[in-house]
Amino acid sequence: MQASDLTDHISRRFNKDLEDLRNMVLSMGGLVETQLSRAIAAIVSGDSELGLQVANDDYKVNKFEVNIDEECSRILATRAPAAGDLRLIVAIIKTITDLERIGDEAEKIGFLASKLAAMDRPADSYRELKNLGTHVSHMLRDAMNAFARLDVNEATEVVLEDERVDVEYELIQRQCITFMMEDPRSIKRVMNVTWAARSLERIGDHAKNICEYVIYMVQGKDVRHTVISEHDDLITD
Amino acid sequence: MPGASRQFLVGLILLLLAGGAIGWIYGYAERGILVAALLALFWQVRHLLAFVRAIRTGDFSVFRQGDGIWQQIFSAFSYQQGRAGRYKRQYRQLLREIRKSTDAMPDGAVILNEANEIVMCNRAAKTIAGLKPKKDRGQRVDNILRDPELTRLLRSNEFAQEIDIPSPVRDDGWLNCRVVPYGADQKMLFLRDVTDRIRLTRMRRDFVGNASHELRSPLTVISGYLDSMSDDPSVIAEWGQPIAQMRNQAQRMNRIVAELLELSRLESAGPADDTQLVDVAKLLTICRNALYQAGETPEIELEVASDAQLRGNNSEIESLITNLLSNAIRHTPADGRITLRWETSPAGGVLSVADNGEGINAEHLPRLTERFFRVDPGRAREDGGVGLGLAIVKHVLGRHDAKLDIESERGEGSRFICRFPAGRLSVSAPVPLRQPPASP
Repeated sequence: MQASDLTDHISRRFNKDLEDLRNMVLSMGGLVETQLSRAIAAIVSGDSELGLQVANDDYKVNKFEVNIDEECSRILATRAPAAGDLRLIVAIIKTITDLERIGDEAEKIGFLASKLAAMDRPADSYRELKNLGTHVSHMLRDAMNAFARLDVNEATEVVLEDERVDVEYELIQRQCITFMMEDPRSIKRVMNVTWAARSLERIGDHAKNICEYVIYMVQGKDVRHTVISEHDDLITD
Repeated sequence: MPGASRQFLVGLILLLLAGGAIGWIYGYAERGILVAALLALFWQVRHLLAFVRAIRTGDFSVFRQGDGIWQQIFSAFSYQQGRAGRYKRQYRQLLREIRKSTDAMPDGAVILNEANEIVMCNRAAKTIAGLKPKKDRGQRVDNILRDPELTRLLRSNEFAQEIDIPSPVRDDGWLNCRVVPYGADQKMLFLRDVTDRIRLTRMRRDFVGNASHELRSPLTVISGYLDSMSDDPSVIAEWGQPIAQMRNQAQRMNRIVAELLELSRLESAGPADDTQLVDVAKLLTICRNALYQAGETPEIELEVASDAQLRGNNSEIESLITNLLSNAIRHTPADGRITLRWETSPAGGVLSVADNGEGINAEHLPRLTERFFRVDPGRAREDGGVGLGLAIVKHVLGRHDAKLDIESERGEGSRFICRFPAGRLSVSAPVPLRQPPASP
């Protein structure tokens, strides 16, 4: 499926509906990306105000989800789409759920940031969280780019990237355990760090899911719960 | 009639006449003409088919020689074709030049249609914003540069403002976006990498904040000792004067540091909260009463033409009024007159402080809000001003989406006008002008 396929219906209203829906999902993606980067900035710079702001702004993401969901049901009911259009709607319904979850995780990170800001900060000012955060926000960005461009290659790369995020998360966990064993007084703080790392890791998973929906939408192939590198017929051009 | 056409007509008539003449000899003149006409038709059809074939194959060798009617047609045809080809080459060359020049631009430029879809973008847009010139054609630009701020800017159709958004390709990078209208219903989006500028601004802000913070503790120690020394009777009398002066200067420094800290706090915070209501009229009265001293300061008139309240931060608005008013007092002789005015219109609220003091030369107006800028460096230090008042005013206004206009004429006085947008006012009907008594 190409981007131009979307604008290929006899009914011009239907084209516009689908195009608007896609634009709305991408706007929601932009909002979630902003929320995530602000949450990471809040934790890294110890800015409790920014963290709380992120947590308070989560309602905007939720509103988006509800609106898009409604629009999807409306299109399903009135247009009865088939083939590629149906896949687009199904993929969008799933994508927004994952985006909303990412929003929730960003909200959690924002809360944790405001808590961590009140505690003493380690010398490296959470460099490992910053690295993981950058990694994950790149994944989310590439996932949304793949969604916008209907780009299977980029989507596949993001799915593969998720393994690296998992490894990084594992390392942070070990580091945190070491800190807690060395100095039990730091347990309260380090627990929050593990929670933030856990949230970031979950965001990576959600970004991976979105990419799987992109592959489904473009090629009609369900690659969930399979090993992506075994699908050597996915890469186009 | 050109030669070839006349020749063709004459030839045709001669052929028909010849056919008619031969037929007449045998007694069938009409049949003779008919046969001649068929011959002419056969000859023309043959040439027509040959020409069509030549157009298809591009081999016009049959038509190159001679000067018959078909050769004429060919030469006119090839002339037109050659001209069209030349134009095409010229346009292609021109297009290539334009493309090369847009690619050489250091800033990203994206041409958008009325639906904000990408029509064309240059190479810089690819490197600094990650757009793909071929693949993203027809894609809405805010589907790729997904920032809520940019979406809002593109939708608003307001072309005056610029925004900074996080760079989609560079970690910790920033992109400055500006939209200008272009052609019919088209827009051009300019993207510029401003990471360095933003980093520098942040560094300067942090430096000023940190430096003032660090200066604070030594200053407290110094003024503490100076305070106790000035009260100590055992200190030699000759030291009285120097100690008093040192105390004065230490207090001045304390004030500077406090205002610098205030300024850096204002700079780093976002827009002011718009849920709290500020009673401007009440604040004006409070500030006036605090600063007015009968006989020493000029008359201060209060004109409140509206009881509308402002959505914003109470203490910041208070510091705004205090700064403007104390400036006016310092620059107006004691027999002068200062007017404080608060009025609203559908366009927004206007808070103005006017005096009939010495006024400011026009060339100084643009620099007035710079930190430590002084119109008369020699004199101003003695009157107790720190030099940060108007900078604070500017930042407070910026945080309330408002603007500062300064009107002034040398010798006539000055007027500082703060314009608040209508969205910052809390709705209430305008009341007739009421004037409180001039002195408390």
